[in-house]
This record gives sequence, structure tokens and C-alpha cells, in this order.
Amino acid sequence: MKACRLMAIALPMVLLAGCATSTDPREGGLLGGIQGLGSGAYDSRVQEREARLEALRRTQRELEGEQGDLEARKAEQTRQVAAERTRLDRLNADVAALDREMASLSAQHGRGDQRVRELQTRLTDLKQQMGQQQSALDALEGSGLGDSDTDLRRRQLEQQRQALQKEYELLMQLSLELAR
Amino acid sequence: MKRSLALLLVCLTLSGGTAWGSGSGDAATPLDEIRQVIRERALHPPAESVLQGLTVGNLEQDLQALDPHARYFPAGAWRSPMLGRDAWVGIGADLVFEDGKVILLPYQGGTAALAGIEEGTQLLQVGNASVVGLSPQELLSVLRGTEGSRVALTLLPGGLNAEPVMQVITRQRFRPLDVELLGPPGQRILKVRDFVGGLTRPALLATLEFVLASPRPSGDGDMPLILDLRDSGGGDLFEALDMAALFLPAGAVLGSVQGADGHPAIFHAPPGRKVDIPMVLWVGPDTASAAEVFAGALQHHGRAKVVGRPTFGKCSSQTDVSLSDGSVLRLTNRMVLLPGGERCTAAGIQPDVAVSAAMLRDPLRLLGVSRALLHGRPEAIPAVEREPQIPDESR
Repeated sequence: MKACRLMAIALPMVLLAGCATSTDPREGGLLGGIQGLGSGAYDSRVQEREARLEALRRTQRELEGEQGDLEARKAEQTRQVAAERTRLDRLNADVAALDREMASLSAQHGRGDQRVRELQTRLTDLKQQMGQQQSALDALEGSGLGDSDTDLRRRQLEQQRQALQKEYELLMQLSLELAR
Repeated sequence: MKRSLALLLVCLTLSGGTAWGSGSGDAATPLDEIRQVIRERALHPPAESVLQGLTVGNLEQDLQALDPHARYFPAGAWRSPMLGRDAWVGIGADLVFEDGKVILLPYQGGTAALAGIEEGTQLLQVGNASVVGLSPQELLSVLRGTEGSRVALTLLPGGLNAEPVMQVITRQRFRPLDVELLGPPGQRILKVRDFVGGLTRPALLATLEFVLASPRPSGDGDMPLILDLRDSGGGDLFEALDMAALFLPAGAVLGSVQGADGHPAIFHAPPGRKVDIPMVLWVGPDTASAAEVFAGALQHHGRAKVVGRPTFGKCSSQTDVSLSDGSVLRLTNRMVLLPGGERCTAAGIQPDVAVSAAMLRDPLRLLGVSRALLHGRPEAIPAVEREPQIPDESR
């Protein structure tokens, strides 16, 4: 009889102990949950969750921003490479015209003329360098744009094309003087 | 220069026409024309009896006995020195043979560099075969392959306690940048391997603009501009002078050339674009010819500090003369003098701070020395005399 009474007291205590207290409303069982709600811990957990969610959103926005930057950079590089190709094509056409002019000068002055030979040598170099520029630009377009390596490569090609342009202008000047 | 053979690209273009024509002539070789060119244009024209002794069958050797830099290119074998490197299929690295070891020097953006292989990594095996005892040509043939094929390399990274690692590399088509940018973004280490007429200077300018526009990592406010010439075998003399002029005031003497008549032609820096960032040059025993002229000019004017090891010592210029049959003769026609009138042939350029051979292949340590040098911290500069305590074998 005594044993039965003890069991009757102990059982609810064990059951209540099973609902061990915690200030986290996601844990804690019945008493803990009630205590959590009452003490404001629930609100702080909600705030914490919202803060974490906000941090995730911020990271997401940063990633999207980086992706956007990359896309923008890629688009800009694509535009610059296309512009560079146009300028190179134009220079190629000019050099081809100069080549024809040189052939006519060569006929006028004779192939043995030192100035004609000098001009022809430089023009040959220029044409070969133009060919290299062309294939380098092709390779650049095929490599997938957007990273800093390709940006550096494009900038180098652009500066080199400008230097070739100056060489062309100088050769043009020399050929005009020779034609006079 | 002295290791120009050793500096064979891992996979040169498989196309036939390289700069180094292999044949030394045939029955149609215009010997008389060659004799005439040498007589008229060589820096040290030989006696007539020597010229008459030139033979078609032994032309290459005969020419080199007259002039170590002379070459004969049969018609179609010559390639203009005004051209940069073509694209090639390979692992994107140069090879250097050093004290019986094969060292890799990856190119920026090449497959080897993208796989994380760093400068100074030793190549031990290709596939299952050791590279010990292989000639440059033999090594080249085992490294060659088609685009997209893979090759297994056993490598020993730099560092004291490094262990060999196996890495599989995919061969790819690659054309190196004319001026490479070493290290992480924001660093200012620019590597120049060739001085190509009309191309290297604009590439240098573009790279400088790129670097100066890039944000610098915090704490790197004292980052000097470093030009790495350790693997620059030279190239076009006038490109080197033009490049030196970028860093020197208008009117400064860049150097001079002296032909067989002994009269020097002196070159001065023209006005125009100038770069005034403090600068350090890295040089070594493979720095030769145009690269030495460039380094010598900047060192003479105190415009750059030179860090490394004495350079190769070849300050002469060659000219390529087209012959009537389309072949080309290359011969030495001028001596190049530094701005003070000194010659660097044989002596080379002496660095302001000399380092050990091991340190020369350690960009991080070179960077530390370069910074200390520019900011007057001599205690941070290691005395080269102490360096041999670090054995080169440790690499």
C-alpha cells in the first residue's frame, strides 16, 4: 500500500522531469515552452533567427552582386574586344593598301633601291605582327572573357595595336616621301 | 642565352619553321655572298684566308668559329625577331636545366600555372620515366602531345621539406603574355622574358596601367615595381633602349653601339611618356643581351636597384642580312656599350645585392630583399656570404 502511494507521487514527478525546462521554445517541453514564452526568450530566439536569415539574404545579395559584376565585366570586355577587332580590321585594310603602294614604288625605283628594301622589310614585319595580333585576338575571344588575366591580355593587345598603328603611319610617311 | 637550348619551351609549336634553322646549307648556299657580307659588316672581319676557308658542308661550325652568335638560316627557316612567340600546345612552362636538375618556370595563365605549379618546381619524372640524363630534345619529345592529351608529371616543389607529388596536366594551346604579372592581385612583379621589337614596350605600358589601376592589398603601401629579368635571354636592342627610356628623363644617355669603325653612336632618352615609380630589377645568369643593356642603363643612372646574381655578359648586337636566294645570315656587327661607356660582355651586370642561387629561384625572398633595399633596411638584406649555408640541394 505504501509502495503504491510512493509510485503515485514519483510517476508525475518523472513525467514532469521529462518535460525538462529550457528557455528555448523549440526545446523544453510543456513547462519549458511556457516558461520560454513568458520570459521573453522566445522573442530573442525569433530575433536571432531573423538576424541569421538577414545575414543569409545579405550573402545571397553579395553573391548576386558579384555575379552581376562578373556579367557586367564580361559584357564590357566583350564590347572592348569587339571594338579592338574593328580597329585591327581597319588597320589591316590600311596595311594591305600600303602593301600595294609599296609594290608600285618597288616597280618605280627598282627592287635594289636601299630605301625600298628597308621599307619592304619593315612592312613585312608589320604584316606578320598584324597576323599575330589577329590570332591573339581570336584566341582571346575563344578563351571566355571576364577574368583579370584576359583583361590584362586585352589591354596588352590594345597597346600593341596602337604601337603597330604608329609604325604603319611612319611607313606611310616614308612611302609618301619616296613617291615624291 | 647560355641556356637557350635548355630554355626550350615545353612544347614548341609543332609547325616546322622555327627561328633556329637546322640545316647548314646545301650546294646552292651562296658562299661568296656570305663572305662579302662578313667582310663588309662583321664587327671583327676575319682574315681573307679564313673567309676563303668557309665550306658549305661545315658552314655552321665555320661561322661560329668566326663569331659565336653567327647563324645561317636556309631559305624559309628564318623567323623575324620582330615577332613574338606563337601559340603552342603544351603544359605552359619553360624548362631550365640547372646542376643536373630540370626546373619548371610556368607561364602566367598556362596550364601548369593554373594547376598550381610554382616557379622553381623540379621535374622528376614524365609518366614513369625519370628525366635524369635526358637531353633537352629528348625531354621535349616525351612532353609533347596533342591538344587535350594528358601527361603525368612527378614534381618536387620548392621548399626545405617538400615531398615529390604526382600531378596530371592537360596539354593545351597557349600563347604567353608578352609581359607577365606574377603573384596575387595587387603585387607589382612584372616578368619580361623577351624584348620583341615593337611589342614588349607597349605590353609593359599596358601591364603597368593595369597594375596601377588595381587595388593594392592593405599593408602593401610600400610595394615597389619589380621587373623580373631572371629568364630574359634578350631580344631587340632598340626595344630594350626604348623601354629603358620610359624610366629615364629625356636626354639621359641610354647606351651606345660601336661598329667595326670604332665610332660610337650614342642613344639618348627621348621626351614622352615617363614612369617614376621606385623600381627593382631581378637578374641572374640567364639575363642576357638586350636585358643586360636595359638593366645596365637603369643601374647606371641609379634609376633601379638590381637584385640577383651576375648576368650572362653578352653586350653585342647582331644583324640579319637577307641573301639573294632567300636565306639569311646573322652576324655580330656592333658592340653595345653601357651609358658610362663600359662593356658588359663577359663581365655582365653586377647586382647591387647579390643572392644565392637558391634564393634566386625564391620570389618571396627576393621580394623581401627588394622591399628592404628600397626602404633602407639593410638589416633585412641577407649577406650573400652567409647564403651558401642554405644548400641548393635543399630544393
